[in-house]
Amino acid sequence: MNQQDRIQLNNMLIHGYPDEFETKAILSSFGIQVPRSIRLLPEEKLDLEAVTFPAVVKVCSSRILHKTDQGGVVLGVESGKIAETIDVFRKKFPNIPILVEEQIHFRGPELIVGAMVDPNFGLAVMVGMGGILTELYKDVSFRLAPLTFREAGRMIRELTIAPAFFGYRGLNCDPDHLAQIITSAADLAHRIGKSFSHLDINPLVFSNKGWIALDAKLILGRNQKNQDQTPGKNNSVN
Amino acid sequence: MKENTNLDNLLNPRSIAVIGATNTPGRVGRIIFEQLLGFKGHVYPVNIREKEVLGKKAYHNVYALPETVDLAVIAIGAESSVRVAKDCARKGIPKLIVVAGGFSEAGKKGCDLEDQLVSITRNFKTRILGPNTLGLFLPHNKLDTIFVDHGDRALGGGGKVAFISQSGSVGTEALGLASNTGFGMRAFVGLGNKCDLNELDFLSWFGKDEETNCLAFYIESLTQGRRFLEEALKVSLLKPVVVLKAGRSETGADAVSSHTGRLAGSDRVVGGAFHQFGIQRVFDDEELCDAAKTLSGLPPAAGNRVAILTPAGGYGVMGADHVEMPRGGIRLEMARLSEKTINRIRSRSFSFASCRNPVDLTASANDRMIGDALCAIIEDDMVDIVICTAFFSPPSITGRLVEVISSRIKSSEKPVIVFTQYGPFTDRYLRQFHQEGVVGFPSIGRAVRAARFLVERAEILHAIRTSS
Repeated sequence: MNQQDRIQLNNMLIHGYPDEFETKAILSSFGIQVPRSIRLLPEEKLDLEAVTFPAVVKVCSSRILHKTDQGGVVLGVESGKIAETIDVFRKKFPNIPILVEEQIHFRGPELIVGAMVDPNFGLAVMVGMGGILTELYKDVSFRLAPLTFREAGRMIRELTIAPAFFGYRGLNCDPDHLAQIITSAADLAHRIGKSFSHLDINPLVFSNKGWIALDAKLILGRNQKNQDQTPGKNNSVN
Repeated sequence: MKENTNLDNLLNPRSIAVIGATNTPGRVGRIIFEQLLGFKGHVYPVNIREKEVLGKKAYHNVYALPETVDLAVIAIGAESSVRVAKDCARKGIPKLIVVAGGFSEAGKKGCDLEDQLVSITRNFKTRILGPNTLGLFLPHNKLDTIFVDHGDRALGGGGKVAFISQSGSVGTEALGLASNTGFGMRAFVGLGNKCDLNELDFLSWFGKDEETNCLAFYIESLTQGRRFLEEALKVSLLKPVVVLKAGRSETGADAVSSHTGRLAGSDRVVGGAFHQFGIQRVFDDEELCDAAKTLSGLPPAAGNRVAILTPAGGYGVMGADHVEMPRGGIRLEMARLSEKTINRIRSRSFSFASCRNPVDLTASANDRMIGDALCAIIEDDMVDIVICTAFFSPPSITGRLVEVISSRIKSSEKPVIVFTQYGPFTDRYLRQFHQEGVVGFPSIGRAVRAARFLVERAEILHAIRTSS
């Protein structure tokens, strides 16, 4: 991370609870790929030239619980439908920013990469089967941070779905790149320091550009300097 | 003031004072003193009321002792223990065992008393094991402060496993049971409430101890989690570290706010961290003892190919099922025996014997056939681990089979695990094997599980060596 990125990261952390757009900017500054994305503030007009279609339209707020369940995510939006979709969102979620992202085509499993602070051991990272059923599969493995690239590789090989990274049914989802993302997530959590609480990158998918984070949530803890935006009860998973 | 980290005077003391030693039968102070009469070193009874305890001159207090002992075992009530502990510290006694309960495990008043013990360790060089502990049992110098009736007295023969337990009962019960079938113990340490000395201190000491080749822990809470892991990684390069971590620690209140936090619980992080730091994890006391016995008695496996030798086909089939069942991320597979081995076994047994793995010599087998087949399997390059079934019920098998099998195993560089079962005589045969230095278990499932410990150990060593 260069000096400018560090300043940007600090600004976001001081600003309050990062929303999806900001969280993805942080991921990106740690070398984790995210889709091209535009955040539209209320009243702001969309520059169609800047959008790659088909697009994904999402409500963008750290305060919205379960955005998928609330109809806050629409996939496969073509250029002819984008204006209408945005209008619907603005009526449904007044005064909340909207995210317009390129839609990523992927194959293979949806993964989760996360980080959290264990009360006994400190910072820990996780990789596993992701998606909305992640807590049903429970196919995850943990390690403490910091961890080596090699150790991240062992985490991956421990998973039940491990064969999917090594040629199973023609799937070759670059395990080295995935290991790199795990170590980057650990690094990110470590750099945030004391205010770090949780990170979920879910789903993380394998596209023709490699592993890419389609959604992410970063939760900061009580040690945060600026308490303007109280976390309230809004930190739940989508 | 914690520079006194050397545990030699606790685990290898030259002299011991037993505070509360008494002639009154049934009292803890009497039991401990009586046991320590066999100790190889000076033992002094300290009792304010008695002139002599069991024929030995008693001292009224620690100041009256003729020398500054290495270790004081304080076997009196909680409140008096605190007062005496202070005297011991002033006198310069480096190590104390505080046996009494009634401290932090027993509410506010007990917590205050325990705080006073902690402040003694801060103000003096004295270190404390306990309170609320059964203390120690080290067979080699007959240092035994365990005042409950313990089956593990049968472990007096000694061995190389250091068994460190936060719960006294779990330790004595587990080891008591393990002693039925043979278990080689270097030391038992009851950590108790861990007001001062904790699992990390003993991990470091036994990690360096040349007489210890395996460490087994029963732990409910890790006092210095991260440091314990880092030390365990260092130790595990030299010898296996097995941990039973019981109880789920509390997760942060905000853990529910992410998938990661909810999936972690607390337990999955423990599992991952143990993998990362070279610790072999087990989930109950039987598994803890089995793992320790196996890892202390056998070398790591060079690979994961298992061969099973049996005179009873059914156990061969069950064994193969256990081998092929994925469990705990450690994969075993059934070895493919070479044609040479198969022919060798056939030529020394029957035409109707099944000479492919699992090798079934049938109930017509005799001692010699089993010995020859075992030899052939051990010498097969396609085999990494051997499970040898020793059944004594077939008519041509004699009691000499123990010796026949043991002699083959002793000369083998590969790990060989014995599975034996013979109704009410099972334990007796297992003890005989143990005396021959052979690792055996009374079920095929436990024998295969033992094979997994050896493969896991090899994987840990490989991971550590390739990481550095």
